[in-house]
Amino acid sequence: MQQIDKKQLSLLIIVFLIGSTPLFELGIEAKQDAWLAMLIAAGAGMLLTVMYVKLQQRAPNAGLADLLKYHFGRILGGSLATIYAIWFAYESMRNVRDVGELTTMALLGLTPKWIIMFLILLLSAYTISKGIEVFARVVQLLFPLVVLSYSSIILLIFFSGLVKFNQLLPILERGPMPVLKAVPDLVAFPFAQMVIMLVFMHLVKEKKSLERVTYRSQLSVSLFLVLMNALVLCVLGPQLAGVTSLPLLEVVQLVRLANFLERLDIIVTLLLFIGLYVKITTLYFASVFTMIAVTGLSSRNLLFPIGIFIYATSFLEPNNTYHLWIGLEITLKIVPVFQIAFPLLMLVVGIRKRYKPEAAGGGRRAEGVKEK
Amino acid sequence: MTKTSQTSNQSALTPLSRSLQVNAHAIHTRFGGSSDLVIRLFRSDAAPERQLALIYIAGIVDADVINDSVLAPLMSMKLPSYMEETENLLIESLRACVVSVGSVKEVSTLEEALQYMADGMCLILADGSPLALLAEAGGGKDRSVDVTQTQTVIRGPQRGFVEDIGTNISIIRRIIRSPNLHVQTHKIGSQTHSNVAVLYLHGVADESVVKEMYRRLAAIDIDGVLESGYIEEFIQDESFTLFPTLMNTERPDTVAAALLEGRVAVMVDGTPIALMAPITFFSFFQSPEDFYQRFDISSFVRVIRYAAYIVSMLLPSLYIAVTTFHQEMLPTTLLISLAAQREGVPFPGLVEALLMETTFEVLREAGLRMPRAIGPAISIVGALVLGQSAVQAGIVSAGMVIIVSFTAISNFVMPEFNMAATSRIIRFGIMLMAGMLGFFGIFISLLFVLVHLASLRSFGVPYMSPIAPTAKGSGLWRDAFIRIPWWAIVMRPMDLKLRNPRRQRSARKPPAQRH
Repeated sequence: MQQIDKKQLSLLIIVFLIGSTPLFELGIEAKQDAWLAMLIAAGAGMLLTVMYVKLQQRAPNAGLADLLKYHFGRILGGSLATIYAIWFAYESMRNVRDVGELTTMALLGLTPKWIIMFLILLLSAYTISKGIEVFARVVQLLFPLVVLSYSSIILLIFFSGLVKFNQLLPILERGPMPVLKAVPDLVAFPFAQMVIMLVFMHLVKEKKSLERVTYRSQLSVSLFLVLMNALVLCVLGPQLAGVTSLPLLEVVQLVRLANFLERLDIIVTLLLFIGLYVKITTLYFASVFTMIAVTGLSSRNLLFPIGIFIYATSFLEPNNTYHLWIGLEITLKIVPVFQIAFPLLMLVVGIRKRYKPEAAGGGRRAEGVKEK
Repeated sequence: MTKTSQTSNQSALTPLSRSLQVNAHAIHTRFGGSSDLVIRLFRSDAAPERQLALIYIAGIVDADVINDSVLAPLMSMKLPSYMEETENLLIESLRACVVSVGSVKEVSTLEEALQYMADGMCLILADGSPLALLAEAGGGKDRSVDVTQTQTVIRGPQRGFVEDIGTNISIIRRIIRSPNLHVQTHKIGSQTHSNVAVLYLHGVADESVVKEMYRRLAAIDIDGVLESGYIEEFIQDESFTLFPTLMNTERPDTVAAALLEGRVAVMVDGTPIALMAPITFFSFFQSPEDFYQRFDISSFVRVIRYAAYIVSMLLPSLYIAVTTFHQEMLPTTLLISLAAQREGVPFPGLVEALLMETTFEVLREAGLRMPRAIGPAISIVGALVLGQSAVQAGIVSAGMVIIVSFTAISNFVMPEFNMAATSRIIRFGIMLMAGMLGFFGIFISLLFVLVHLASLRSFGVPYMSPIAPTAKGSGLWRDAFIRIPWWAIVMRPMDLKLRNPRRQRSARKPPAQRH
């Protein structure tokens, strides 16, 4: 089994959680308090992450599927893991569809979606065929690019004098209820997506520093997301931010500096693709890994079936409105089952007695010994 | 010529006969009666009753050595009387007392004798003795050490390697005067028997890399090796990649620098190009001159190189994408002027760019292959094809000419030819993608390249280190993009897992004394 080091996990968490999130103005239902809702959701997300890390530490060498098996038994745990794998594939599909929709919206009006979605999925499949080590390296290579792009965007926004802090006032205009109402959805996306990292955490070489690395990277991502959220609000104001489909793109188009730095859309589009690529690949990976642990098949045998599944399902939704509606109204209400309910259940149940030595001794390796 | 039972395990070998006539005849036959085979029969004062023979191949031996150190002593030798008594002792005593050459060998089979002769040794046979003596007399004409032709520097040593491996190793020996410089020579090629030498700095290089190098070299089974490129294709980690995972150079100082960094060098007889491994992607952006010029200038130039590499890979694709799909990205005035230029051009942007890029590649190849005497012709024709005339004829737009020219110039910035070539090839793929899918196509192709790069290894070392994975230890990633001052380069590249990663004890510059 290929391993990754703690820095790679940290960057994977950061880039994965950033994903395409800063491009959208999440929690805009709370109007100018959207950033506040983000902040609360981030706090709740941290609590969930503590839970995931604690679960992982019970069986340091077990992936998500093995964890489920240890807690619920081979059959129930296995079927739950299968459901998780399907969910990961579904989430991956949503991002593939996002790429298709956003590309046709922002870049290529006339190009058919199927070729765009096919290419990005092919890229992900290629990455997965090379293994998690290579993917972790790719994330490491993309990370400086992401940092550079976001910091130049932020700097330019400030320099062009677009930021008006009074857009954030008045705070809590209609009491705390609208803010609190927006929080659950924000926990489900993006923060509680950390649950996917349960698939990858056991691959980290330095088990001891897992806790610190995870918390630190999530904390920085959370702060960054809240900051970006507030920044977009400061520039566009709650009304405008609520109606545009890609608020960050809108913001960047407002930047005009020295008659030269005018079209920064390209940076935003680049960030969008990098974020979505990492998301798609991570989720696709998670689905493949979980199915490997459930079925015992090799990655080669699972890569294409799951890829075809993702590709095929990405055509099910007839149009973008429907796609967004399903995403916001249905998916977000169901996913807490995976993000909160099952992990919490695991935490309560505890590892079943007959799996204890396996879990402590090191997951899959110990399993192999027993079968002998 | 009977086969004895002792040699049954090496049945292909023929033992030498006791009769000099038989041996000489056998050698003559095995060389197919070649006219450059010299068989000199003579008798010596010391043992007048025994006939002796000196056999060698003219042209690959040094005539002075043959005459002064082999033939003359043999003919005028005086042997102590006890040595003449037994037949086998004659050869032994020749070796001990007569032949005044550094390297001598005793052989008992015909095949060994033939092989060493082909390698430049001369063979001494004595009638009645089943042993033969070989004396090193290698020579022959070769190019003398000269200024480097392909990798030039302004400041720094100017000499380059030559075709003779012995000379090349001696040059390295004279740069690194240390017993820790270990050289192991292998013979590769069932016909050419080329010498392939592995050089490394003992105590610094990773022994597992050295072992792996030996293992890969030993597995090569080919009839001939004419250039280090043969070896490179056998020992590289991944065949189906555009990116080189071994570095080559004709500069002794580059090899010495690589050895000091803990890399392993491979030299092949017959070529001035040496190989170095393990190597990372970022090493290809470093010129040896970076380390001779001031660090600030070198750092600047190094950054320029990365930019030029990206330009030479992407510029035509960006032009295609912008003019075909994303016109709104350009400032309005520029857009209008571009549109005006392209008004008379009959082709879409992609075809125009492919046309011009292909033309340039043809010109470039022509410039390399054509006889030097008609060299100036290419620049005249090239200027016409790739210049004002093409624009006036309405085949391409003026903007396109600028794009293609700048792309071409950017490509020449790269210090390593094989890395520069990668961007030339990838460029065409990305151009096609940009022509079909605009920025999205460029982005997808670049990510494919990135994933591929991240998956490569050179002798076990990840190709993209020290960036991905990050090498442990203090900020060596800096050296990938800028050149830090020499006194601050304390560590060798950490991704090589060296036995001794330190170059200096600490980052200290001798303090300047002020009066």
